Amino acid sequence: MTKIYAPDGALGRPPVALAASPPVLGGLRIGVLDNGKPNARLLMARVGEQLAARTGATLALVTDKGPGGNAATPCTPAVIERLAKEVDLVLTGSAD
Amino acid sequence: MSGSIVPTGSVPAGAVLEVAEDDPEALMQLYAARGWGDGLPLVAPTAARVDAMLAEATGDPDEVLAVLPPRFGELTRRIVAVNAVLAGCPTVVFPVVLTALRALAREEVNLRGVNATTHPVAPLVIVSGDIVERGGFNAGLGAFGPGNRANATVGRAVRLALLHVAGARPGQGDASTQGGPAKYAYCVAENLAECPWESYPKSRGIDAASAVTVHCGEPPHNSHDMESDAPGRILDKMASAMATLGQNNAPISQGEYFVALCPEHASTIASAGWARSDVASYLHERARLRAGTFRGAFGQLAWAPWMHAVPDDHLLPMTAHPDNIRVFVCGGAGKHSSFVPSWGMTKSVTSPVEG
Repeated sequence: MTKIYAPDGALGRPPVALAASPPVLGGLRIGVLDNGKPNARLLMARVGEQLAARTGATLALVTDKGPGGNAATPCTPAVIERLAKEVDLVLTGSAD
Repeated sequence: MSGSIVPTGSVPAGAVLEVAEDDPEALMQLYAARGWGDGLPLVAPTAARVDAMLAEATGDPDEVLAVLPPRFGELTRRIVAVNAVLAGCPTVVFPVVLTALRALAREEVNLRGVNATTHPVAPLVIVSGDIVERGGFNAGLGAFGPGNRANATVGRAVRLALLHVAGARPGQGDASTQGGPAKYAYCVAENLAECPWESYPKSRGIDAASAVTVHCGEPPHNSHDMESDAPGRILDKMASAMATLGQNNAPISQGEYFVALCPEHASTIASAGWARSDVASYLHERARLRAGTFRGAFGQLAWAPWMHAVPDDHLLPMTAHPDNIRVFVCGGAGKHSSFVPSWGMTKSVTSPVEG
């Protein structure tokens, strides 16, 4: 038998799992994080409004990624902290 | 084929697999089953081959040199050596692969975005200096390929490391809509012997015997001129090809262009007394569109602030500053040059070769 190496190596940061989706939206605060793609804010804010109207949730916050943020760069930590503090779920990730 | 590789079930990252024989087909099957490989035949990364690769480097093989997104895999000399063996690299070029990957890990490259975007961006690796001859790179005729082992395998090793360590697999860590041939291998060497100016790294303040530049962009765009004996006529053709709305440079003004002049074009231009910076200045001046044309085409413009202030009938450059146009020489006889537009939200890096 010959031994060969696996090509991927160890992880430098443990994987992070998405939080479980809430079973009921009523009474929850919805946030929208505009990820910088064209029309992302318009599309996701409308989805947030519709969800709120149908479920009794509230559209509590619509934000972009912060200063200098765009579709190709990560969201600033301050915006992440604000979302974590002010809303219960976030809509984000509109593509091209 | 005898089905000669024995899978060992769940394999932890960095693990060793057992192989019954050194058979390319079986190795490809095993790797494909685990989501590894680039679709081309692979060289089995045995301990002996990996150790031979590591002998070309200095430093701890298991030192964590960087963490590559979006998978956040640890980049070590050993894991780079594994991927260099898989790619078929001759050992002498191993420090080039290491240097390229370390450069790609720099913050200004924005590797997370480069790997994850829907754009077909791939890192172009430009090799300069003594290592070009010593490593057997082709800087001359057909420099972008195919046919040369060093060019092909260095480019491939960088891509394999991005696939495996960084996790830039199509549909997972790589959302590229169409992908692209440059995502298999994208490495070229600078033809300093036929360059009328100093080496590209030296022009950027890197005075090393050998250096590597990484630029994350599109495949090369051809610019053909076989009749002109003046710089302007040669470069006007390139400027016309650069001034289009379909490149990310159009809405993102920080994006660079890498201009790969063929030796004959470079000679004609330099014979007229032009410096490398004159080429950049001229292309910056000539590769332009009306500001209103940009504004009509894009809802979002990631421009330098001053660009927003000009009226619609003003001609704006395809990149905010002449220094964003980087010029080097490669290729052989003939009158075809090329340029490599940027992905946009990234900056090139030039580093001395180190193991």
